[in-house]
Amino acid sequence: MISDGTEPPVVLSVRNLRKYFPIRGGFFGTRVGDVRAVDGVSFDIFEGETIGLVGESGCGKTTVGRMLLRLIEPTSGHAYYRPTPEVQSRLNSLYGQLPRTTSEEGNGKAISPASQKTVEELDQLAAEYSLYRKSPRAMRKLRGKLQIVFQDPFSSLSPRMLIKDILSEPLEVHHAGSRAQRAARVTELLKDVGLNPEHEWRFPHEFSGGQRQRIGIARALALRPEFIVLDEPTSALDVSVQAQVLNILKRLQADQRLAYLFISHHLSVVRAMAHRVVVMYLGVVVEMAETDPLFTQPLHPYTQALLSAIPIPDPDLKRERVVLQGDVPSPAAPPSGCRFHTRCPAVMPVCSQVDPPMLEVRHRHWVACHLYPEGIRTASERGVAEAASGPRSEAPLTASAT
Amino acid sequence: MGTGDSTEPYSSPMALSDDSAILRVRELRTYFYTYDGVVKALDGVTFAVRRGQTTGLVGETGCGKSVTAFSITRLIADPPGRIMSGEIMFRGADILWGLGDEAKYFPIGDTGRVKVKRKFRRIKAANERMSSVRGRAISTIFQEPTQAMNPVFSIGDQLSEVLLLHRGITIIDELLAASPDAPAVGRAGADLIDAARSGVRQEIQDAARKFGAAARTPSLGTQAFYIARATTSRPDQLRRELGKSLNRVRLGGTVRRYLRYQRRLLEIQEKLNKVYLSEMTDRESHAVARLRLRRQAGQLRLTHLYYRVPFVRSRVGSALSRELFWRVVGLLEGVSIANPVQIARGYPHELSGGMLQRVMIAMSLSSEPDLLIADEPTTALDVTIQAQILELMRDLKTRVGTAILLITHDLAVIAEVADDVCVMYAGRIIEQGPVAEVFRRPLHPYSQGLLASIPRLDQPSKELKSIPGSVPNLISPPTGCRFHPRCPYAMPICKQEVPPMTTEGPQHTVACYLYQGPVVPP
Repeated sequence: MISDGTEPPVVLSVRNLRKYFPIRGGFFGTRVGDVRAVDGVSFDIFEGETIGLVGESGCGKTTVGRMLLRLIEPTSGHAYYRPTPEVQSRLNSLYGQLPRTTSEEGNGKAISPASQKTVEELDQLAAEYSLYRKSPRAMRKLRGKLQIVFQDPFSSLSPRMLIKDILSEPLEVHHAGSRAQRAARVTELLKDVGLNPEHEWRFPHEFSGGQRQRIGIARALALRPEFIVLDEPTSALDVSVQAQVLNILKRLQADQRLAYLFISHHLSVVRAMAHRVVVMYLGVVVEMAETDPLFTQPLHPYTQALLSAIPIPDPDLKRERVVLQGDVPSPAAPPSGCRFHTRCPAVMPVCSQVDPPMLEVRHRHWVACHLYPEGIRTASERGVAEAASGPRSEAPLTASAT
Repeated sequence: MGTGDSTEPYSSPMALSDDSAILRVRELRTYFYTYDGVVKALDGVTFAVRRGQTTGLVGETGCGKSVTAFSITRLIADPPGRIMSGEIMFRGADILWGLGDEAKYFPIGDTGRVKVKRKFRRIKAANERMSSVRGRAISTIFQEPTQAMNPVFSIGDQLSEVLLLHRGITIIDELLAASPDAPAVGRAGADLIDAARSGVRQEIQDAARKFGAAARTPSLGTQAFYIARATTSRPDQLRRELGKSLNRVRLGGTVRRYLRYQRRLLEIQEKLNKVYLSEMTDRESHAVARLRLRRQAGQLRLTHLYYRVPFVRSRVGSALSRELFWRVVGLLEGVSIANPVQIARGYPHELSGGMLQRVMIAMSLSSEPDLLIADEPTTALDVTIQAQILELMRDLKTRVGTAILLITHDLAVIAEVADDVCVMYAGRIIEQGPVAEVFRRPLHPYSQGLLASIPRLDQPSKELKSIPGSVPNLISPPTGCRFHPRCPYAMPICKQEVPPMTTEGPQHTVACYLYQGPVVPP
């Protein structure tokens, strides 16, 4: 995140994204329930910024990433592609007016007539900007701008294609340049990710995991994208090689102003990579903040537990740790109210009944938890908060879990 | 001396000079014979695990961590793998005794490849011998709990089998000594019914334990607790159910006879295990004693052939299997599983990875082993579950006093739980020492690189350094120090000679030419 007053343009503006996977059962394979993989996720991705998306396995991280590329169609919600600043502020105010629909009401069908106008206007904006309203042809063009690097470098490269074919395939699909230009681009891409140009005549099995992942990155870069989903790009790699890949990703971002959605369950990696972090639990966002405040002063009990669970490679450092009991509940039958209340160490009676709203508790620090009922109170106080947190890390330390 | 490999010149078999070591591995070489060539997965690995301590074995993928673990319990699949030479001493027993007789090697021309002739009878004998060590003395937690469990048996059945095998004699003795009709039982039962009415978990638990103690069967206490939990508000039903639970330890003559038969079988097995262990300790064959015991067991089975009839078996065996089931529930409680009764009745596919890993831990600790080999126990798990498992392992170390060999690629996990650490690279240990010492002052350039490449939560601004290149191919590994192609300080000598292990501080040894401390004798 570039922290100099002026905000960089938004690449993707994700609003109320939901994905319910049907559970089929019964006599005729009718729909007997839903797995609420993603249940109302909203955030913005700015140009040149890395958003870290963290959470335990099965919390919906990967589903979000894939929906942003339309590899999975969402059940409802939108991702607005490059809204102008005016559209962006209009979107914010319109979504502010919408009544908070609980997950039971789902697709925004039960909306009062008063907000009918809001819904209509949103619909118009969606028709113009939302990824999910693009025609197949428009979408195909856009796909060059939105790319993905997959988790497993061993299964994401075709074993029967030469590296040069793997890298030039996206260029051919998008009719980019002449044959000679494409060949030149392949060489350039290999150099970008720190491989030798002669590697283009090899097959994927001749490379180690780290090298394959770099080929995956080069393939994602081929069409000069604006936004790349990195779906656990280093979890299959060794630490020494992981550092190589992370450094390449950082360098490419600086060179090409790429926006990343960095999906990972490895929080130390996210801390090293991300500018802002979104913490998900069971399909919903529980906390969202810039990286430093999130790691130094996590607010949500889940984030605190997640952070304290990470082992630190320093034998002299002994910490109090919050050990969460039990496993993540099934997303097919999520707990009522706050979804974390079954494992929360600070659970209150209200937690099992009311779903906590997402509130801006500190400047640019959003959290959905009943422990923080106020948010930023008034506009004047908000101004003060903003002034106080100019240099980011000097914000007053009130709560610290680590 | 068991190794028939004459290229290994070492003097008399090393006695356990240092009593603090429970496991001592010396110059272990494990090769895999593949069509591409001989993979020298382990090439002279030497280390020790101290009694009651956790030793970490850390390194990148393919450096031979897991092969070391499998070699110690001799679980290397043969073919293609083979332990070539070395010495593994576990509490005075030579695990690799007789290794040299198990296979012969004939070089094929000068291709560098060999023809291996395995003597499968010898290998089978070694396997039988190892069964006296595996599970009861050294148990293993495997990396993938989903693949380590059998999908067609319930969790309870699988754990029962382990329990019967390792603790069967005590279990049967306790079952035979049960006193369901002692006067104290009635009183304890009444107390339990009162406690159940109060509904306080702790009270129910204490009362249930007393109930079990009165009947002289602890497992009955576990059972009574879950019955009481389920029927808190219905005292009549609770009374009925408690009566029924007592019935399961009221044994008839036939059942007692069956239990005594089982006990005799287990006793013979126990004696056989002792013979196997003494074979490995004395390094000589006790074939006569072994055969006699085998024949005894065979005769016993033959004269009680009717126990094999399924109908008879289920009738006479039900008392034992129910006893085992409730003991399994107790075990699962020990690894903090919330609803052990349902879990014990369930099958592996119904559980999440973290739960299964805990079941695996319960299974491997049920025999109270002297050494636990944990092969990447938390790699497949989420951080929150990992924290639970590490907590559990630390707790077991202090409670049971088990020595742990913890294998992982995650240095942070090592820092959290281990006492000593060995850093492996390409089939060799390149640095070892106490955790605090190695982390504070890593000496080998590889250890330094490894530590510098971890992204750290507590030092976010740190530049991530990477080690250039990747792990070498072990079919034709680099000459000399195997790290030299990636080493920033490589010198000419590194290419030619394998650096010796030198002492560079209290118990801190390193194999690198940058250091010139006193050489550790191999």
